Amino acid sequence: MFDLVAQSVFSGLLAGAYYALIALGLALVFGTMRIINLAHGELVLLAGYIAYTAESRFGLDPLAALPAAIIIVALTSVIIYLLLTRIRVDREINSLILTFGIAIMLTNGILMIWSADIRSTTSGWYLDSIIIGDTLFAMNTEILFAVIGVLVVGAVWWWLSKSWYGRALRAVSSNRDAAKLMGIDPRTTEILSFAVAGLLASIAGIALYSGKVIEPSLGHSLTIKAFIITVLAGLGSVPGVLIGAVLIGVAESLTATLWSSALQGLVSMLLFLIVLLVMPSGLFGRTRRRG
Amino acid sequence: MMKYLSLIIILAGAYLAVPLQFGGNDYVIGIVVSALTIAGIAVAWAMLGNLGGMISFGHSAFFGVGAYGSALLAMNAGLPVFPSILAGGVIAGVVSILTMPTLRLRGPYFALAMLAFAEIFRILAIEMRWLTNGSGGLLSIPRLPTVFGFDFGSRLGGYFVVLTLVLLTVFVYWLIRNRPEGLALRAMHDSEDATLVVGVNATRLKAAVLVVSAFLTGIMGAFNAHYINFLEPDYAFNGSWTTLAIVAAIFGGYKTLWGPVAGALIVYLVDQFVFKAIMPSGHQLILGGLLAAIVIFSPSGLLPWLASRFRKEAGDAAHP
Repeated sequence: MFDLVAQSVFSGLLAGAYYALIALGLALVFGTMRIINLAHGELVLLAGYIAYTAESRFGLDPLAALPAAIIIVALTSVIIYLLLTRIRVDREINSLILTFGIAIMLTNGILMIWSADIRSTTSGWYLDSIIIGDTLFAMNTEILFAVIGVLVVGAVWWWLSKSWYGRALRAVSSNRDAAKLMGIDPRTTEILSFAVAGLLASIAGIALYSGKVIEPSLGHSLTIKAFIITVLAGLGSVPGVLIGAVLIGVAESLTATLWSSALQGLVSMLLFLIVLLVMPSGLFGRTRRRG
Repeated sequence: MMKYLSLIIILAGAYLAVPLQFGGNDYVIGIVVSALTIAGIAVAWAMLGNLGGMISFGHSAFFGVGAYGSALLAMNAGLPVFPSILAGGVIAGVVSILTMPTLRLRGPYFALAMLAFAEIFRILAIEMRWLTNGSGGLLSIPRLPTVFGFDFGSRLGGYFVVLTLVLLTVFVYWLIRNRPEGLALRAMHDSEDATLVVGVNATRLKAAVLVVSAFLTGIMGAFNAHYINFLEPDYAFNGSWTTLAIVAAIFGGYKTLWGPVAGALIVYLVDQFVFKAIMPSGHQLILGGLLAAIVIFSPSGLLPWLASRFRKEAGDAAHP
């Protein structure tokens, strides 16, 4: 029993680092511009399908598809931003509806290009399992992308808090006009934030493809997962994203082990609602009114 | 006067011309019934959006609860179908009380919290096998009855029932909108604080609108259950009941009375008869595009846009 729980927590931790990759792009855009990009999961999925094409058509390793995925997905992400800037009234709700429409377009575009079939990686290395400390099992891909996930969270945290552009972005998010006076072009920094969100979605998409199965309708649930983690983390907290993601990962994994795998989704939804209603600023966020 | 005349023409067309023209064609009538079902959800959704100022992404929860509630009452308790459809709506309305804590949340948080509720209800419908038979679904749900020799269980019969339900939904919306509470609710969007000052209990009114909206959505779900005679969780709680209603309502103009109905008919019929024929897979791409385009170019929807065009042209004609 102890082994079972230990394995379950371990798997949950690995899943959490991978979830953080999925959530980070959404959390970045949400934290800096207060826009919930409901097409974020579809961007992740798009990168996954690019990896699939690279592997099945050109015989490349999924990771080798990263540059192509970054270019296409970051470009799509920037196009979404440019469309969002055309909204004139009721920005909060209309940006939600606009990205919702874009998500429907992307899902159906993916369906048309890649068909409804389920795809997964064929390169064996990713799916081979390794044993750590005699008892804990994991797939290579889980370890790889858990490490990448933690590194990427660290990199984004460093970028936002230390680099010039990251600080410019935070300046624009806290006071657009004051940032302008300081010589920051808000448009450039916001385009950059969407491009970085696209880059993060690309890494997440490769992780998705090399460890799980992909199908066109998956994007929606990826968006939901990313949003749940963002809410758990609280607005604008990058380390909070990792902790929130790990929390969801472990909670799901333990539910599957101790209860039933069908109830995994229920647990993360309940966790989400409880945090939303009881701790409105998330576990680590700045205090801000949501009600 | 013009208003009543056009209403009479539309009603005559809906109750007489459509059945006379397409009554024998079950395929066409079937699709029109689906379009009207979505129109009903869209009106109920728009009522919450317009009067309550709240965009919900979780109305499929109420649709599914209404469908299952009515189907189970008719199958297990032997309730006649029409009262059981009403009961399905009531159950959906009661269940919406569970979602009321979300009324404290602002815009996007409310939308996504409702989505979480819809997901929870879907999982519960799969897991509560003793009640819902899980993923196996409910088979042979009683069909709509024959009354005075007319078979409401036929495709055409279903058409008359759903048409009447949609019109009643619009009527209820109209009644609420014209009550003082409706005015108070609409004033609330402009400034919730100001309405609080003049003594409007905003939360209580929002809660009431949520219950009515859930009730009306549940009725559509209940009708659908008895119309197709089969239910499973992934069908009844499918997110596309919400998606299509949102596209329809936003497209037609969710702040107008008839916008959601017009939007549902246009969007769904064009999608099924035109886009689906051109591209069999992925035809909803166009719906997503329409939604994006309407938000960017005419956020208040098609009907207000047409109305302003019409007024402009009439004005131009009057003053050349």
